[in-house]
Amino acid sequence: MSAHSEPIALPAIRRRVLPALRNWTEREDVFSWLMILPPMAFLIALVGYPFVYGIWLSLENRPVAQPGTFIGLGNFFSDFRDPTFWQVVQNTFVYTGAATLLKMVGGLGLALVMNQAFPMKNLVRAVLLLPFIVPTVLSTIAWMWILDPSFSVINWLLVHGGIAARGPSWLGNPALAMASLIVVNTWRGLPFYAITLLAGLQTIPPELYEAATIDGASALDRFRYVTLPLLKPVVFIVTMFSLIFTFSDFQLVYVLTRGGPANATHLFATYAFDIAMSGGQFGLGASVALAMLPPLALLIVALALYLRRA
Amino acid sequence: MSNEAHALPADSRRQFLKATAFGVAGAALGVRPGFSAPKTMSIMHENSFIKTFDEYFQKTLIPAYEKLTGIKIKYELVSVGGLQTRVTTVAETGTGPDMTLNFFNWPFLYDEKYVDVGDVAEEAGKKNGGWHDAAKEAVVVNGKWKAIPFGNVGQLMNWRTDWFKEAGYDKFPDTWDELLEAGIKLKANGHPFGFELGHGFGDNHGWLYPLLWSYGGREVEPDGKTVVIDSAETAAAVDFARTFFQKTMLEDVLGWTDPNNNKAYLSGQISCTNNAESILWAAKRDFPEIAAATDQSLNPKGPAGRFHILAPWSHSIFTHTPDQHAAKDFLRWLMEPAQIGGWYASAVSYYAPYLHAFDDAPLWHVEPRNIPYRDSLATSHLPGWPAPISRASSESVAKYVVVDMFAKACAGKSTKEVIADASAQLKQIYRPA
Repeated sequence: MSAHSEPIALPAIRRRVLPALRNWTEREDVFSWLMILPPMAFLIALVGYPFVYGIWLSLENRPVAQPGTFIGLGNFFSDFRDPTFWQVVQNTFVYTGAATLLKMVGGLGLALVMNQAFPMKNLVRAVLLLPFIVPTVLSTIAWMWILDPSFSVINWLLVHGGIAARGPSWLGNPALAMASLIVVNTWRGLPFYAITLLAGLQTIPPELYEAATIDGASALDRFRYVTLPLLKPVVFIVTMFSLIFTFSDFQLVYVLTRGGPANATHLFATYAFDIAMSGGQFGLGASVALAMLPPLALLIVALALYLRRA
Repeated sequence: MSNEAHALPADSRRQFLKATAFGVAGAALGVRPGFSAPKTMSIMHENSFIKTFDEYFQKTLIPAYEKLTGIKIKYELVSVGGLQTRVTTVAETGTGPDMTLNFFNWPFLYDEKYVDVGDVAEEAGKKNGGWHDAAKEAVVVNGKWKAIPFGNVGQLMNWRTDWFKEAGYDKFPDTWDELLEAGIKLKANGHPFGFELGHGFGDNHGWLYPLLWSYGGREVEPDGKTVVIDSAETAAAVDFARTFFQKTMLEDVLGWTDPNNNKAYLSGQISCTNNAESILWAAKRDFPEIAAATDQSLNPKGPAGRFHILAPWSHSIFTHTPDQHAAKDFLRWLMEPAQIGGWYASAVSYYAPYLHAFDDAPLWHVEPRNIPYRDSLATSHLPGWPAPISRASSESVAKYVVVDMFAKACAGKSTKEVIADASAQLKQIYRPA
């Protein structure tokens, strides 16, 4: 009996269950959830969990390799009383502000140039991406040499070109060290801006420019009244990304100065790493890392509001 | 027998059953402690600056131990600068290698995850003429040996004998003031000094802590609580450092990390720095004429004496190791004179042994210019001294409190201001829990 029922039951299941399943997945709300689930699981595992764990750590006195004790906002109060923390805050804002502005202006200029027709346009566009493609740690090592106190190629040129008797100390002078880091960050981030803005530029219909030209608009007018307003959403997105990456930058500083001289180039991420890893204070380190969240959120909200209103 | 079993209270019966169950399971897995050992064990190390040192472990020690016991030791090499992150991960997750190399004060940071190896240390001491005191300072945490000290990668004054001679110095100046005087002359001759004042791992702490101590300054009292950085002694050290920087050095040193002074010295840009033996080692390999004109000397004396930085290497066993006995047996074997002596000798005297039996070993006579590394052990301490080494002292090092106090003064801030900053930071770090 059972031996006979099996071959009959299977097609029956196929007939009944599979179409039902298919109907179910055909429903848009179900299908969309099914599509969202894998990335959601991914995000929760790799971003959500560490983030929540980071918040938990920041509320604990948690030395490395020891159980933690809950101390509420104690770590944050310690940070606020730490003069280096405030220097780190200032450094991060200067670094992010200057680098983002330079990248925005430079990237826009570069995108406008790249949008023109010229020979080997595609090759040049591809080459442009190089600083962004090369792993930061590698390219930063090249910069290490360029800015090296003893063997700086810039200083060699300055000295041999008869411009200066001795080149400046690019990473030894606090102000110059910060300026050098900003330049390197701009160099690395510029292609990202340029390529994204170039993509934005190419979506602007040529008719608009033609119409503007017929109306007597100059090149500057066309840029101001056609290009800029239509490019704004792209500028917003790319600036937001850039702000986040620059604000939480780690590799550049870690390779070039490790936060020196005298903390002049320490950023949130490098300071947090030093405290947590070298100092073995996970809780305090997490609190420094988390302290960058509110200002970053504020920056992004302010930017969004500004652009919406405009 | 059965009567006895009946007589056992319930608790003991459970313990008996548990023990039996574990014994059976252990036997099945082949991990009966004390009877049979694991097939492999692993030890983490950072790539050594001295190639022959790693090779000696891989090609001589590993095969010898395998032949003796059948246990294969895996030597897991981590790239330079990456060991602490790796140790942190292993200690936190409780999985990974059985043993590790430590630098600096790590036994104090990870003490709860390290096995007490006092018995091995005691035996190794007996067999090798006893331990230097510095070794105990490096690994004894709350009275327990949390690592087996290996050797010291100390820092000394590295200087150009030819240029010093030109300025009228046949031997290295004995006090900081005399060194300043010499530096002024040498800078005038186009041969400035270069001491790291940036955020490197070691060369900055390596001369600045000894400088502070030699003027009588200290971060904290021996009670480990009372912050005393704000003192006339500290002020004198800071004032000296500022003058020393301004009159003898390049501005670059403020941004230097550890490789910079090596490069500057080996390219003939500076006449004196404070570094481990790596400069002389690299000079002998690549720049023989510089090597011939290089010597190494003890740090200069200050009003309160002469001091050096303790930069210990040591080996620990993680508590998560399945067979701690087997790991201890390995370290016990490693620390026997034949093995440890061979390993020391493979790096000549780069790692100054902490064992008195090696005080006059042949390795010291291969390069007599290294002998001051041995002599410096008696006056070497870890950052944070004379307070007991603690997590707070680690935090102070990680935040570069002392280094930045000096660096800011050299960059132009007032002595009062930089000491006040350091004091505020230290009070925060050493606050009562």
